[in-house]
Amino acid sequence: MDTVLEAKGLVREYGPVVAVNGVDLSLQQGEFLGIFGPNGAGKSSLLGMLGGGLRPTSGSVSICGEPLNFSEVDWRYRVGVLSHQGFLYEQLTAKENLQFYGQLFGLTELDSRIGRRLEQVGLTERAGSRVSELSHGMRHRLSLARTLLHDPDVVLLDEPFTGLDPSASAVLRDVLRELKDGSRTVVMVTHNLSEGLELATHITIQVSGRLAWQGMAAEVDRVGFGRFYHDVVEGHP
Amino acid sequence: MSLYLQQIKVIFWKDLLLEFRTKERLIAMAAFAVLTGILFNYTLDTTRLQPQDVAAGLIWMTIVFGGLLGVGRTFHLENQDGAFQGILMSPTPRDAVFIGKTLANFLLLYVIALLVLWVFTFLFALEIGGSIWALLLALALGSLAFVALGTLFAAVSSGTHMGETLLPILVFPLLLPVVIWGGVVTGRLLAGRPVSEVVGSIRLLGAFALVAMAAGALLFRFVVED
Repeated sequence: MDTVLEAKGLVREYGPVVAVNGVDLSLQQGEFLGIFGPNGAGKSSLLGMLGGGLRPTSGSVSICGEPLNFSEVDWRYRVGVLSHQGFLYEQLTAKENLQFYGQLFGLTELDSRIGRRLEQVGLTERAGSRVSELSHGMRHRLSLARTLLHDPDVVLLDEPFTGLDPSASAVLRDVLRELKDGSRTVVMVTHNLSEGLELATHITIQVSGRLAWQGMAAEVDRVGFGRFYHDVVEGHP
Repeated sequence: MSLYLQQIKVIFWKDLLLEFRTKERLIAMAAFAVLTGILFNYTLDTTRLQPQDVAAGLIWMTIVFGGLLGVGRTFHLENQDGAFQGILMSPTPRDAVFIGKTLANFLLLYVIALLVLWVFTFLFALEIGGSIWALLLALALGSLAFVALGTLFAAVSSGTHMGETLLPILVFPLLLPVVIWGGVVTGRLLAGRPVSEVVGSIRLLGAFALVAMAAGALLFRFVVED
């Protein structure tokens, strides 16, 4: 299997605060990594660096063997990011937002791509609605459609279930399951242990900027994982 | 059309569409232009001062202050839902982002510059004795130079806690040549002087606008990237 996403010695400092402290990880095609950790563990900073949104203080990130070079743009075709923020314009409609991003990526057959993605996230009937008229859950689903619009090889998800009602969570869960088709590599940061365990193939627990524990999701005792997680978090210096 | 030109066009149209739907910048700039013209009209003592003697300076100062109201909010909507981060995560070269946003700002400011010219010529009963085309060209070049610097520094100031307060402090010193050359061209053309007297200043305005665009396109990535 090919290594799709690789990080070596990633460090991110904000002044005196070290948010990410020497993280190494390697993900192959089709793998789905769930990153758990308490608030302030540096999960979002790690995700930001993996997606090229944050410049590492030191260390490197490679996608499909090519180191991320901030002065080049080609690698951005390979990455899709769903952040806390939706990257959406409230004054534009759902379809216009997707058209805008699709045209920035120079996508062909854009209308059919947009139609497919809106259908996938259950927003076909709201394509003409302005984002300001959409509920929080709908916006989140639209952001997911934007993330996947250009069919990225690497999908990075930052707390995708936060603030979603059960029906929106169900739609999101279905879409994320579809991502496990073996062609994409997914990294998901989440506080939601049950959702993370259900979706991920690999698990890691991040504490104080470091990866304190890593393992395969299939080998995890799901019933006792909550207790194990707290032990790892509290036991880490 | 190459992807680069498409990206510039997409950002240009998106900014114009957002402005068309919100109208927050255009209305603020237009209201400022009209109110300033009215205020100056009532405060100038025309028995001691000929309006055409001071109109050029007032026109350019109104464009600069009014323009700042709009240019300063260039990144306001971009920051609402992190949308600008979304642009940065796309494969759009940073200079294409800058050019697209600057051209959209230019169109808005040029409309305001024309409004300012009309307001002052109407209220002060001025006649444009020289070439109107040379005056329109000078306004266009001055507006382009202004928005190139304004867009770059609006990106700088939007990333600080001082926000729009910082923008005039950063931009005003750099706008001095624009106001001087623009004022010279406008004053002479309002006074009915021939185009040959203002060609040099128009060329300087054009060169300054080109340098400002090039500098903005080169430096923008250092401003917006983490």
